[in-house]
Amino acid sequence: MTRLQEIPWVEKVGLNEPAAQSQKRLQSPGRLNLYRLAWLRPLIESQWPQFLIRILTLAGFVFTIAGGLFGSLVGSHNIAIIFVWIAWWTALKLVFIPFGGRSWCSVCPIPLPGDWLQQGGVLETGRRRFGLNLRWPKRLRGSWMQSGGFLLIGLFSAVTLTDPQVTGWVLLALFGLAIGLSLVFEKRAFCTYLCPIGGFSGMYAQTSPLEVRIIEKEVCLRHDVKSCYQACPWGVYPVAFRDNSACGMCMECLRACPSDNLALNVRPFGTDLGRQKTSTRLDETFLALVMLGSVITFAAVFTGPWGWLKSAAFEIGSLSWFGYASAYLAINLLLLPAFFSMAVWAGQKFTGTWVSLKRAIATQAQVLLPLGLMAWIAFTISFALPKLSLVLGVLNDPFGWGWHLLGVTDIGRMVNTAGISMIFQMILLLVGLFWSASVSRKLSAKSEKKSPHLNLPVLAFSLIFTLAMLWLLVG
Amino acid sequence: MTDQTPQKKQLSQWWQWAILSILGLVVFFAPIPVRATAPTDRIIHIDARRFEYDPAILKVNQGDRVTIELVATDVVHGMAIDGYNLETTADPGKTARLIFIADQPGTFRFRCTVTCGNMHPFMTGKLEVGQNSLLWRAIAFTGLVLIAGVWLGRK
Amino acid sequence: MKKEWLARGIVALGLAIAVVIPAVGWWQQSQGIVVHAHMAETGGWTPENLTAEVGKPLHLRLTSDDVTHGFAVGQLDQPAVNVLPGEMTDITLAFDKPGKYTFYCTRWCSINHWRMRGTIEVTDPNIKVEPAKPPLYVTLGLNIDADHVTSVIYAQMPAAWRGALLNRAVPIEYTNRDYYLSHTPVDLWLALRSEPSFIDLTDKDVWDQVAWVWQSNTTPDEIQAGRELFAANCAACHGENGAGNGVFADQLAATTGNANSDTSMGAHTQRPADFTDPSHMLSVSPAHLQGKIIRGGMGTGMPYWGPVFTQDQTWALVAYLYSFQFDMEVLK
Repeated sequence: MTRLQEIPWVEKVGLNEPAAQSQKRLQSPGRLNLYRLAWLRPLIESQWPQFLIRILTLAGFVFTIAGGLFGSLVGSHNIAIIFVWIAWWTALKLVFIPFGGRSWCSVCPIPLPGDWLQQGGVLETGRRRFGLNLRWPKRLRGSWMQSGGFLLIGLFSAVTLTDPQVTGWVLLALFGLAIGLSLVFEKRAFCTYLCPIGGFSGMYAQTSPLEVRIIEKEVCLRHDVKSCYQACPWGVYPVAFRDNSACGMCMECLRACPSDNLALNVRPFGTDLGRQKTSTRLDETFLALVMLGSVITFAAVFTGPWGWLKSAAFEIGSLSWFGYASAYLAINLLLLPAFFSMAVWAGQKFTGTWVSLKRAIATQAQVLLPLGLMAWIAFTISFALPKLSLVLGVLNDPFGWGWHLLGVTDIGRMVNTAGISMIFQMILLLVGLFWSASVSRKLSAKSEKKSPHLNLPVLAFSLIFTLAMLWLLVG
Repeated sequence: MTDQTPQKKQLSQWWQWAILSILGLVVFFAPIPVRATAPTDRIIHIDARRFEYDPAILKVNQGDRVTIELVATDVVHGMAIDGYNLETTADPGKTARLIFIADQPGTFRFRCTVTCGNMHPFMTGKLEVGQNSLLWRAIAFTGLVLIAGVWLGRK
Repeated sequence: MKKEWLARGIVALGLAIAVVIPAVGWWQQSQGIVVHAHMAETGGWTPENLTAEVGKPLHLRLTSDDVTHGFAVGQLDQPAVNVLPGEMTDITLAFDKPGKYTFYCTRWCSINHWRMRGTIEVTDPNIKVEPAKPPLYVTLGLNIDADHVTSVIYAQMPAAWRGALLNRAVPIEYTNRDYYLSHTPVDLWLALRSEPSFIDLTDKDVWDQVAWVWQSNTTPDEIQAGRELFAANCAACHGENGAGNGVFADQLAATTGNANSDTSMGAHTQRPADFTDPSHMLSVSPAHLQGKIIRGGMGTGMPYWGPVFTQDQTWALVAYLYSFQFDMEVLK
């Protein structure tokens, strides 16, 4: 049934349409539809490969919670700490998000029990379904709570990241919350509105080279059933996708479409960025700023040489912790939003353009996305790379009970990669700045004026951020 | 700019990339001026406690013969210096010593190697030998990258 | 339909594996004795009291829940092992004699490291336990808490090798071990000062002679053993050079006479003794020092090492402590 039309970078032909597929909405280079690759399609079309991966992550998740709650109290020798905050976090920041956007959501175990209860079955929808299927309250929409969740984790990060029991309880709580919300609200309420990981994954997914989009709009307009929408566990409408932030890459719509009109495209990095925003919603801007503020704070606290700062972050409830918490919240809730808004306002003033300030801020926030993505990758490398040998140790003895699953009795420390690591971090930060500047230039070029000027204040914001991160990580 | 012929535009683009590349190479390879200082012997006394080193930032000149005396003040701590591949462990009451010649310039992190509590993975300090050439080059690159990002690729 | 049940089966299998493996491990753990080590402030050893029988080996698995600890049993010929965070150390103990043994931590883990102790009650149905002999200071009737400032101090640190060079015959009543154990260096100096055959010696020479007598009651091996014991157990408070300035010295001194002192250490701890101070060291006898070491300091913060060190170890430590006052190096 699948015609293999492998003309790279040229429009693909829809199954029932003799006319050439066109991506008229976006004047960008072509796409490669992975769903048409003969060797890849069966793996996506069948539910089993993804299902088996999900069972693996689910079993791993339960095992990890058990490790956290019952295993050794020493974080560096407990699977809960090492696997969640080193192994999985590194995979998330270095592979899943930059290359796959929201791809972790596709195999994440947390929403699975809720999905199964909602559809009354594991692979097939059943007769008996559970859940009230209420609509999510309008006032609670957006990514505000996801940003709040991230700030909450940040306040207690020194303990969460190091104490296995706390990690175990946090994971259990998120699991319970997701299941509970699935029984009350429709679709993946936890993932869409509460999960902090989902929040920034979706936001940074706009930079990723993978996307799910319809191929031919007319086909969808003539289709009244909208099976893609029925099949989507997120409750989003693929036809209306303008960017990647809402799509959880679960591939259900691709399987459901009777016209094979949905594509899993490979595209250039950052394709979703550079468009003038029409809405005045600031939740994404806030999240982008929270990610920047957090990476700077964590770089200072965790990888910096300042012991007093670490103690302040660690001794929760003490006076110094309140100082740390106040500073952290001030940076994220007051300083960065203020500086960024001022930069946008000044930029508008100097270039003489004028759109509503909120719209301008929402638009300019796109400049912060490549910056934050690269900074987080660099920071993750700085703290995770020296500890990768712990991953081996924890695979050998997950609970710190003296097991030797891999038959290893003595694990030496990692080969010294410090020099390469610092150069790598520097390169990543510079790539982030370059990319961020390109997005800014793209936005300036698209403005209404005939001779567009660069938005220097926003560029200055990016520059200062990059210099700060460079000094913290490499200086 | 808009009335340049395509060939002229391509040529000027090419020149811009060439200039930027040359500047990039200069930044990468340019020798950082170092104030010539005679190598001295330095003894640095570090108190280690949960979860910090005191002092945590050490400054020496390139070529110095450095002796680090690590004193653990509460529990057993360790110290490993990235880049120099040196490691030692100190029990309270037993000062540990690391003696080496700081021949490699740059900034090197050192970290605790003996689990000393929750925040042990983040117990770090840094050793600054001479100039941090990586940082200076990075800052220079930042400028070049910013220019490249906004200048090149214009339509 | 079949697909759905297969899928549910896989889910159940995955969850079962994820739960059964830890459960089995947990059950296995509960079959043996696992001793968890914590810093003394947060619990010390758990369990703290073990039982064993003479002739039956005791298998223990040791792990630490916070920092690096060590494990050794006092008065038992068993080398110390490290007890590392998140790792398991297996050890098998064998007991010949019944009694109450003390196990203790061997790597400094806080100011209260020495309080990290537990007991192993070893029984033997056949043998009746003999009562222990009282230590020497009790037999001698010494008050080891009394103040003891010396009346005579040397002008220059005495050296045993100089005493040897004097080549004088010291009366045997002063060179035998019983005299050494029960008398202070000042006692010996005063005795030798009034000895007729030593009238021509200067005060300094007599001190060198005292040093020589002290050295003749020990061996270089014993002093080395004492040095190692000191470094591992005493230096953290008393300082690596015995001057009472170890890493915990300030904390111990801070509670002296302080009503708001941290009572986790005992109400009135004091600065650790300075072994380099002749005004106090010259007026203690080896029995006095042994008593202090065995019994501890009654709330001053000085630990009691009686259950931990053997007699030989204690005398070795005592011999080493005098090396802060006398140069007892053997010249070749």
